[in-house]
Amino acid sequence: MFRYILVRTGFIFVVLVIILSINFLFLKLAPEYPPANEDQKNSWLVQQYEKGYKTMYLETQDDVILAMRNNEILRETNQYFRDEDTKYRIYSPIAISEQYFIWANNIITEWDWGVSTRLEVNTPAFNLLKERMPVTLKLNFLALFVYIPIGFGLGIFAALKKNKWQDNVISLGVMIFISIPSFVVMTVLLMIFGFQLEWLPRTFPAKNLEGWIQITGLILPVLGLSFGAIAGLTRLTRAEITEVLTSEFLLLARTKGLTQSQAIVRHAMRNSMVPLVPSIIGSFVGLLSGSVVIEKIYNIPGTGSIYISALTRNNYDYNVILVSTAFYTTISLFAILLVDLSYGIVDPRIRMGARK
Amino acid sequence: MADNKNIEFDKVSKEDFEFVQMGEKIYDKKFETKPIGYFHDAMIRFAKNRTNVIATIILGIIIMMSIFVPIFSNKNAEVQESRLAYLPPRVPFLADYGIMDGYKYLDNQVVDLTTIDPVTGLGLPEDYPAQYIDMDTLENYYTSCKDKDDDRCVGGDNILKVDNQKSHIVLGSSYSDDTSEYMFLQLNQANNAYIQIDISQVIFTGDAKLNIYMATSLIGNSSLEDLTLIGTITEAGVYQFTPYEALGKTFVKSQIWLELVSNENEDGADSVYITNIEVYDDTSTNPIYSVDGYYLANNYVMTLLDDTAGGTWSRYNGQVLAAKFSYDAYGYAFGSYSISALPRSQYDKIIAEYSDSCTVTWVDPTNPYHYTLSEGCPVEEVLGRVGVVTVNGVEYFSYKVTANYGLMNGYESIPYFLFGTSGSGMDLFKLIWIGTRTSLLLGLLVSAINISIGVVFGSISGYYGGNVDLIMQRFAEIVGRIPWLVTLSIFIALYGPGQVALIGVLVISGWIGVAGVTRTQFYRYKGREYVLASRTLGAGDGRLIFRHILPNGIGTIITTSILSIPGVIFTESTLSYLGFGIGHGTTLHIFGLELTGVSVGVLLADGRNRLLYEPYLTVWPSVIVSILMISFNMFGNALRDAFNPALRGSE
Repeated sequence: MFRYILVRTGFIFVVLVIILSINFLFLKLAPEYPPANEDQKNSWLVQQYEKGYKTMYLETQDDVILAMRNNEILRETNQYFRDEDTKYRIYSPIAISEQYFIWANNIITEWDWGVSTRLEVNTPAFNLLKERMPVTLKLNFLALFVYIPIGFGLGIFAALKKNKWQDNVISLGVMIFISIPSFVVMTVLLMIFGFQLEWLPRTFPAKNLEGWIQITGLILPVLGLSFGAIAGLTRLTRAEITEVLTSEFLLLARTKGLTQSQAIVRHAMRNSMVPLVPSIIGSFVGLLSGSVVIEKIYNIPGTGSIYISALTRNNYDYNVILVSTAFYTTISLFAILLVDLSYGIVDPRIRMGARK
Repeated sequence: MADNKNIEFDKVSKEDFEFVQMGEKIYDKKFETKPIGYFHDAMIRFAKNRTNVIATIILGIIIMMSIFVPIFSNKNAEVQESRLAYLPPRVPFLADYGIMDGYKYLDNQVVDLTTIDPVTGLGLPEDYPAQYIDMDTLENYYTSCKDKDDDRCVGGDNILKVDNQKSHIVLGSSYSDDTSEYMFLQLNQANNAYIQIDISQVIFTGDAKLNIYMATSLIGNSSLEDLTLIGTITEAGVYQFTPYEALGKTFVKSQIWLELVSNENEDGADSVYITNIEVYDDTSTNPIYSVDGYYLANNYVMTLLDDTAGGTWSRYNGQVLAAKFSYDAYGYAFGSYSISALPRSQYDKIIAEYSDSCTVTWVDPTNPYHYTLSEGCPVEEVLGRVGVVTVNGVEYFSYKVTANYGLMNGYESIPYFLFGTSGSGMDLFKLIWIGTRTSLLLGLLVSAINISIGVVFGSISGYYGGNVDLIMQRFAEIVGRIPWLVTLSIFIALYGPGQVALIGVLVISGWIGVAGVTRTQFYRYKGREYVLASRTLGAGDGRLIFRHILPNGIGTIITTSILSIPGVIFTESTLSYLGFGIGHGTTLHIFGLELTGVSVGVLLADGRNRLLYEPYLTVWPSVIVSILMISFNMFGNALRDAFNPALRGSE
């Protein structure tokens, strides 16, 4: 067991490093988008030079400077010229492989993910993300707490009423909500409750507003996030419970004299938990990446919206992209690890890492 | 044996029995009934579930619509037509009953005060001609004004505010809204005239105060010495002042000046909210002078003395008379509009084309370029000539006209836009089907790519097994673990938003599923005897893979791929909604077809900012994409159930 956990954790860690490295290398291949403001750009260049991502060279020969001024010498990719009257300052990037090691070293030793170049110039990218994490996590955990009981309840109810009209209604609802993309659900909810009926706020309320609006402002995004998840969980629960309900051990439990509800709670539910718990842990990743769209629609200042704005066309903020994708990758990979491990915890019959 | 119910079986005599067959042996004979094949069997199972059949029919209708509507609809979905933007849905037959009749409900439209009807008391909104407004729905109400610098914005307070670290600010009053000029007030003690100032709120941090002065000299040449203090205000309330004692006169012709004095050493902007300034006397119950709202705000602010003075004078919470009403958007859009310069050549062409219905009636006999044209003529009235240039004795000019939009643009009757029009004035109905077609084709294209990559990868991995399989599985696992956000950022950074990024993201995450299914199929079939036999006969790896094993597993592989198409459409619309996929202005080349970059996700993104007044821009694309996704999923599930051999023969 211990060895299995160790191996899985190690593998997940390797995958994490590979994904982050791939992301870094590819983003480095793309043209850079330095700060637009000239002063901020200069201080950014100095910082890049000090950190070692770029080398600096002073050109003092007059004829070369003249040629540069007349644009006869073209800039290479990610190279910067700075005209200083008698001399020309040239910043050139070092090889990407070397940049990679500097980058990795900065992260490991100083937790330095670089600075933002476009969104909030020269502030550390990780701070930008950190400020926005609480909102996103609050929403997602809230959605988790909303959707699990509802999904379970509906699933068990549908399984008990199998093939009656209640089951058919629930199955139809499941089919509908599992099919419709969450952004459509969210837009329609926003249109009905925000704009037409005017019951709920139309955008996510700002921090300084009073408490009641803060609470009502959470309703729409949580609903938008959980509809699809409820449908998925209901379908899975229904399938699992129906299967368990026909099993022999449940018949035995009933013959022993347990009531229907006792049998379901003590025997059916426990057995159906085996595939359900991992799927719930896994669904958190789905919620989190789904919330990127919801945040965009409802103007929520979360990690998803900062990722989207860092990816605005021709205004790319690579360090913010890197740190937010690292955030999402880490969470999704550790969710996968938890899913793997949870099988053994939920069901003692599954022995993990056992050799055949 | 037609009615065997009536036969009493125990009384059948022996002679009535006969052998079915006697002569030949039948164990080598072919079945007389047709054998049911695998696909036929699947089809029978498929057709048994009625909901699935309905879903499949709906899916078929959607696919047909997405193919034929863009081809046969004559509505505009390519050219921007700004006058037709945001028209509401208008449906034949239903329109006669008042449902989706092209009327549009609007509120918060500023009322033109000159149009107020003395009988009903209702005013008409600006910019909307009365003939298109449904008068039964017209209502007037006051709302807070957006543009405070507007004389229709009435009531409310004006704030006189001293800046931080400044000592005072002076407001010179007496702007008249009747004469629209600065005037001197005339107060006569014989009529008991008095000044009334309504202060609704004061925000004073220290010992600030508001001084009321009478100014008898001209504006601009005053200093505080020319002023006479007649009162001081430190709290909110309605104050009345008489200037006679302070000035020692019984008749005063003067201006009212207000000075807000603040302690300049204190940090805090003192301000006072002034509702109105009025003058009353015995001659009338109404004030003889009254200024509030916009006109009060028009009074000028002076900074007398020195640079210790400074501050602002601004409007606070005025109201404007607004109207809500429903109006005939189609009638308005296709009705008359003015063209500031219609080239002469174009005008002549129109007149020639409609020569029967264009008879001229002169409005002004002295002006040869001012006349109306009869009904049915695209040009309704010619108002004059513009841009007259004489070259070699020939005059070149344009006409300034009002014209009928529908006739000018070749609409014989007012068209029915079933789902309304988009912000570019294009038919939403056609756009939606174009978008659906794009989504479906993208789904097919991506599935084809996924199948090609997945089948090759899965075949190699499954066929060779062992270490090759192990390495390829680890590779697939790592690629599969990459979150779509990572692939998206890489593709966007390298290629920019567009079809490359879209297809890239969809393929990177999509092929793994197909590879997995293919691998399982190979594990299932590669040990079978027929494969062994073929290998013994000398077949190579390629032949075994592509001629023997793959054809056996291809059914399952294709079913899985069809099941993945709705997922592809799902992701595509989400990415396009976020602006990372295709979009307006891009073109898409699939299978030799050139498509505009409109997909349902793009249409929904357009409707996102118009949820209040144009909800149909969101409703229709949502409905269509939902029906598409639901029916596609049901169809996919039904297909899987039908082809799943575990269910075979169970029903």
